Amino acid sequence: MRAVRLLLAKDLRTLSRAPALVVALVLYPLLIALLVGLVARFAADRPRVGFVDQDRIPESLVVGGQSFDVNGVIEQVETEVDLVRMSEDEAADALRTGDTVATIIVPRGFVSRLRSLIRRPELVLRITRGGLAGRVERQTEALVYNLNRRLQDAYIDANLEYLRLIREGGRGTFLGNDFEIVGLEGAQRILAELEGRAKDPVARAEVEELQTFVREALLALDQSGETLRATANPITLRLDDEGRRGWLLSAQVQAYALALTIALLCILVAAAGIAAERDENVLGRLTRGLVGLGELVAEKIALVALVAVGLGLVLALGLGAAIELAGSTSFASWARVPFLAAGLAVAGAAFGAFGVLLGTLARETRAAALVAILVALPVVLLGLLPEVAVAPAAWVSTAFPFAHAVRLFESTLYDADPWATIGREVAWLAGLTAVFGGAARLGMRRLLA
Amino acid sequence: MAARPDNEPFLSARGVARRYGSHEALAPTDLDVRAGETLALVGPNGAGKSTLLAILAGALEPTAGRVERASAAPRVGWVPQRPAQYGRLTARENLELFARLEGVQDVPGTVERLLALVDLVGPNRPAASLSTGNQQRLNIALSLLADPEVLLLDEPTAALDPGQRRRLWSLVDVVRERGGAVVFATQNLDEVEHHADAVAVLQAGRLVFLGPFAEYERSPAAEIFA
Repeated sequence: MRAVRLLLAKDLRTLSRAPALVVALVLYPLLIALLVGLVARFAADRPRVGFVDQDRIPESLVVGGQSFDVNGVIEQVETEVDLVRMSEDEAADALRTGDTVATIIVPRGFVSRLRSLIRRPELVLRITRGGLAGRVERQTEALVYNLNRRLQDAYIDANLEYLRLIREGGRGTFLGNDFEIVGLEGAQRILAELEGRAKDPVARAEVEELQTFVREALLALDQSGETLRATANPITLRLDDEGRRGWLLSAQVQAYALALTIALLCILVAAAGIAAERDENVLGRLTRGLVGLGELVAEKIALVALVAVGLGLVLALGLGAAIELAGSTSFASWARVPFLAAGLAVAGAAFGAFGVLLGTLARETRAAALVAILVALPVVLLGLLPEVAVAPAAWVSTAFPFAHAVRLFESTLYDADPWATIGREVAWLAGLTAVFGGAARLGMRRLLA
Repeated sequence: MAARPDNEPFLSARGVARRYGSHEALAPTDLDVRAGETLALVGPNGAGKSTLLAILAGALEPTAGRVERASAAPRVGWVPQRPAQYGRLTARENLELFARLEGVQDVPGTVERLLALVDLVGPNRPAASLSTGNQQRLNIALSLLADPEVLLLDEPTAALDPGQRRRLWSLVDVVRERGGAVVFATQNLDEVEHHADAVAVLQAGRLVFLGPFAEYERSPAAEIFA
């Protein structure tokens, strides 16, 4: 233990004497974390979707007496997908070759069906399997929902216009036929005149009965506007803009940024650190009874755990300060910082054990650094893939510390009841540390040869 | 110095061998290192001298055989051919670190004594920035930290100036006169002639001669080194 402490102090002193290296080691993973975040946010965010307009939708369409821009609504989907206008044949080719992930088709007769207010028009979605297909399907459903909502308003306004005609009377058109009606108010006036002229008590009673019906019908029609809108949209979604975090400050992105940064840094430092002992030719001097091979592995793991705690806390506190400064919400995790520090140490140890193993296999510092980056990147990217999207990637990443570290940090920082997740992920990380550390201990013999 | 049964070797190599894949760096070798003896390991480059010294020092595991230590385990100092020190630490920090790892009681006193003994120039500079000769002086000082009874030196004078060479051999004499043992690998016949009691000749990983210097001079093995 004393030997581990002495070597740890030596390594920290060595690191402190290479400030440019330390800055590079910190900035590089942060840069990678930022780039991966940006790629994840934007690159796959707008899959190419073919758009085939067989009906030549006009720029402006009058439905139920209301004018609106169908193309405009369709193109709103372009905030989510890259909508590419093409012919039907081109769209079929693009879908087959994978140039697009889906095709939205506006079939012939779409506009006339819309105008008719009788038959429901259809949009056709052709989609590939797997990958982004589910997402495009959901976005197309959202597009249809938006179109329906706008049309619904037009239809309701058209219906209300008919109701106004029933109430006030006047000229109108229905299914292409013009008509003129007297309306309930006109009927009320005519009935009042008839009541004055009618001598027959039976006829007067019937006129009064009609007047009662007209009055009640008018009262009912007064309420029809709100009732129609309420039944058309029983629930509306109100977007509350207050207290929202930007995606950069979301809990998940924070956990990913923390895990990615310390993963790259720890694997690199551990791999290069153990290989450097061999490059400096001190391994033989150390292992002649001064330090055991297991102690050397433990020392490098401890060094990396310390580095992980230091860097991880700086990053987490920086993100926390950014959340507070953003002002819209508060970073609710200040009380969890001590637990985060412990989590960083556990995760750092697991990354460190993995890095030491890579260092023993590579043997030389430069080769170890290269191998560390070559191996760490796919391990990290595997862990970034959503489990629901690529299940085999999730199984593979279970055998590496990254995915466990992400879940540990996310749960530690933001879960209301995090203890079960923390316990499970700490157990996983401790197990991986033991496995990789044991393998690294065996690999140390390669360094001595 | 620890008490030992009469004539018990400090170190005994029993059939030690080392292979690197299919290459046999050292064939099974038997060798004793006894008190008061200075043994020279000679042979062409790649003969297995450094491998045998590293195995005796405990810095390299043999792939066959074993190294037996005296019942009162001797303190062993090892000067590897290539300096073994941390380049980013100063010479003084290297000595302090290894002194603490060796369990030296008076670390500052021991470090100052050894710095003076090897006359190291620039003890507060990073070891990597020292001249080759000064790195070798530090390398030698590190081997003396444990006050060794057995000193194993791998071509120790290769980077030293004549004054430093004389200083080194006087250190070797001190170790031997105190009842210790010295084994050194060299390519320099003068060093063998002036400092060795016994000679071991290695050729292509095999021990082809082991005996007193006088016998060596008359043996065919001397032709290998001539």
